[in-house]
Amino acid sequence: MAYALHFPRTLDEAFRLLDPEGTEGALPLAGGTDLLPAVEAGRWHPSALVSLSRLPLGTFERTEHEILIGGTLPLRRLEREPDIVRLLPGLVEAIREVGSVPLRHRATLGGNVVRASPASDLLPPLLALEASLDLRSRDGTRRVALGDFLRGSWETTLRPGELVERIRIPVPRPSSYRWQRVRPANDISQVGVACALASSDGRSPWRIAAGGVEPHPQRLPGAEAALSHEDPTPGEIEEAVHRAVEGSRLKDDRRAGEEYRRHLLGVLLRRSITSTVSRARTMGGRGT
Amino acid sequence: MRGDLPLTLRVNGSEQTLPAVPADTKLLDLLRWRLGLKGTKEGCRTGGCGACTVLVNGESVLSCLTLAREMEGQEVTTVEGLSGTAEAEAVQRAFVEAGAVQCGYCTPGFVMALVSLRRERRDGPPDLPTLASELGGNLCRCTGYYSIVRALAGLLAAPIPPELPKSTFSVDPGRSP
Repeated sequence: MAYALHFPRTLDEAFRLLDPEGTEGALPLAGGTDLLPAVEAGRWHPSALVSLSRLPLGTFERTEHEILIGGTLPLRRLEREPDIVRLLPGLVEAIREVGSVPLRHRATLGGNVVRASPASDLLPPLLALEASLDLRSRDGTRRVALGDFLRGSWETTLRPGELVERIRIPVPRPSSYRWQRVRPANDISQVGVACALASSDGRSPWRIAAGGVEPHPQRLPGAEAALSHEDPTPGEIEEAVHRAVEGSRLKDDRRAGEEYRRHLLGVLLRRSITSTVSRARTMGGRGT
Repeated sequence: MRGDLPLTLRVNGSEQTLPAVPADTKLLDLLRWRLGLKGTKEGCRTGGCGACTVLVNGESVLSCLTLAREMEGQEVTTVEGLSGTAEAEAVQRAFVEAGAVQCGYCTPGFVMALVSLRRERRDGPPDLPTLASELGGNLCRCTGYYSIVRALAGLLAAPIPPELPKSTFSVDPGRSP
């Protein structure tokens, strides 16, 4: 299990340490709440961990149309940030369900996205909120939509030597996250459904994503298309549920069986739509 | 940077320099086995039980999921370090009076998590449902949680003066479990 541990103080130093041709098997370490137990259990064998804790990646910024969350900002900071609470209610609902308060004092949004656990409770809302990532390397910064970043279970298109500089989320977004678990606290959801309302520009304004589906959290385009406007009729909601359930392959694992998950997907989608509609009434405009 | 480097940090108010701390040493093991602070307990070692909760710069952190070397220059507080503060003694008193301590294994973790929650709010302590929910990461296998919730309710009913000097209350070490 022996690995080296580095604390770079500049991004250039970090890129050098993470360079695939320099340090073989070096991994970036953010909060470590997921990576460290995986290393201790022998599922990963890094030759070095490069701690991001001394780097200027814990930034927070709000512009007129976006919230920009630094890759290493702890989740607990985010759930207590008034702009996020006000403008991205669905994201806050999901963050508050991750692990426990002491875990969230260290766990980061960047780390959660890069680990890309298929059971992540943060990926469904980030997908529905159309988050994108600024990925920084020694060659500069490239921007990738989260949907293109996720490639599979625990798999992303992150290149060796790249770091999540920030996560960009358009605001405001009436949104909600609904989930079901065996145990409410400190557990992982069997199914989680996130809805968000974007500006419509002729298409459906609905952005819907679910976790508990194969192979990893996904947008549900069929369900989105069934909802043509911000205040759908009960019939339209049932059509969205029908398309979501028909169009998804549900997971079947130790957390829940496929049939139960299918049931949950419908129940949670109805609840998330309803909650988002009522938030849209109180939040007003969508932005861009 | 490979190899065991010295580590300097503050623990319970005093600066400590430890020679040769391996890269993979967890804060939990540093506290228990290098510094002899056995009040911090090892439970699941995977972030699922809260028994190892300590404060880092005043915020609750799971010491089993934290590398010791990340603590360079940081301030770590364990349950031993709370001794003598008005806040900690009020928390201890509430736990004892409500019968929230049975085997005691989970208690330091609960106390540290609770102290962190009380400190982070500048607009007064959180309400009971919030406290109970935000302590959801701490497991107790004895009390069924009812007594712990009662202790929380007791604490909220009796606000702690910020400047109270050291109180006369203490748990007799001879009687502790």
